[in-house]
Amino acid sequence: MNNRIYITGTSQISIQEPLCEQWMDSPISYDVKYTRAIDPNFKEFVSPIEARRMGLLLKRAVATSYTVMKESGISQPDAIITGTGLGCIENTELFLNALCFEGENMLKPTYFMQSTHNTIGSLLAIRTKSHGYNVTYAHKGISFDSALYDAYLQMRLNKISNALVGSHDEMTPSYFKLLQKVGYVGGDMEGVCGEVSMAAMLENDSSKALCTLHSMRVLYRPSLQKLEKAVEQVLQEAGITMDDVDGVITGINGNRKNDEEYSRYTEELFPVTAKLRYKHLFGECYSSSSLAFYSAVQCLRHERIPLGMVYGNVQLKDRKPEYLLIFNQQEEKNFSIILLGKQI
Amino acid sequence: MEQLILNLKNEIIEVLNLVDVTPEDIDNDAPLFGEGLALDSIDALELIVLMEKNYGIKLKDPAAGKEIFKSISVMADYIAKNRTK
Repeated sequence: MNNRIYITGTSQISIQEPLCEQWMDSPISYDVKYTRAIDPNFKEFVSPIEARRMGLLLKRAVATSYTVMKESGISQPDAIITGTGLGCIENTELFLNALCFEGENMLKPTYFMQSTHNTIGSLLAIRTKSHGYNVTYAHKGISFDSALYDAYLQMRLNKISNALVGSHDEMTPSYFKLLQKVGYVGGDMEGVCGEVSMAAMLENDSSKALCTLHSMRVLYRPSLQKLEKAVEQVLQEAGITMDDVDGVITGINGNRKNDEEYSRYTEELFPVTAKLRYKHLFGECYSSSSLAFYSAVQCLRHERIPLGMVYGNVQLKDRKPEYLLIFNQQEEKNFSIILLGKQI
Repeated sequence: MEQLILNLKNEIIEVLNLVDVTPEDIDNDAPLFGEGLALDSIDALELIVLMEKNYGIKLKDPAAGKEIFKSISVMADYIAKNRTK
């Protein structure tokens, strides 16, 4: 379990400018509760003939994945591991609506083909001719973390030497309405619901490394003691203490219940470490935790943390960031702790 | 017939999501499969659904589709003779 894991490429399509890091200097701000992602020109990645049978989410996944494959120089990854909370929900809705309103006899085959969660990973495998390990995790807000953990374990065990890990989710108007009905968004919630497509390349080879994935844990309904122990272990594996960590990236999103949960845990676990947020920039959806990972990689790569990410009373250290810890939790059930470092 | 051909072209563009293709780009007599629009077997299924949904034509023999979907002209002619709506 001694293989080191490096990140050699990350890319995003979200409600910020796509496939670039413009958000670090001039982020787009929203005063609406719901918006769709800003799409790049897909013609650079997909021919019109191919595009006609691809939903928006598939095109986004191809664009982000091919961007990181180009950046890392890996055209056929050993593994393609995907996280998605809702899969290709837009096509699923079209298929189910047709089923409800027109019966079973006149269903369009294309919508049906695209209405499964693992369509994304399959498409990437077909296009890259990668016949290796290909798994999709559909675990709501912990989908990306689960996919990353799979890649992390397999690389540590020397089963694979690189992995294309991604997380992709759409937010359709009808799903947004459902979230509003259950009070998760809307009302007095600050912040926006968005869409995410994020891809990252993980490698054992350090020659093109942007930063290092030192350690991580995924936990289900842990006690506070177990969380403390997990944080301790993650830091120990990197040979550092909490004093060395420049910031903890959390998933506060303007929802009162969610933010109170984060506040409770972070005050207990990381009382004297600067807190960083990212969902005010990228919005909320089941794949948004992948953008915590993406943001951490970019902050370490560019050796700076945008001040707009900092919240709370603890100031940033007066230095270039060296270690960032991502703390993600969903309704106090699923937790993940991910430690990234500049040190190669 | 001209109106039917135009409607059919628009419907095919929409159903098959033919990005950047206009009705004028589709030759009435060019093959739909292999050459021309280069459609494939999944598109054939989409066209079968289109014929039933929009024109009330139920193709009982899928093999017949090969002849009917030869070109826009052939398809329009078949629709004109067999449509129930």
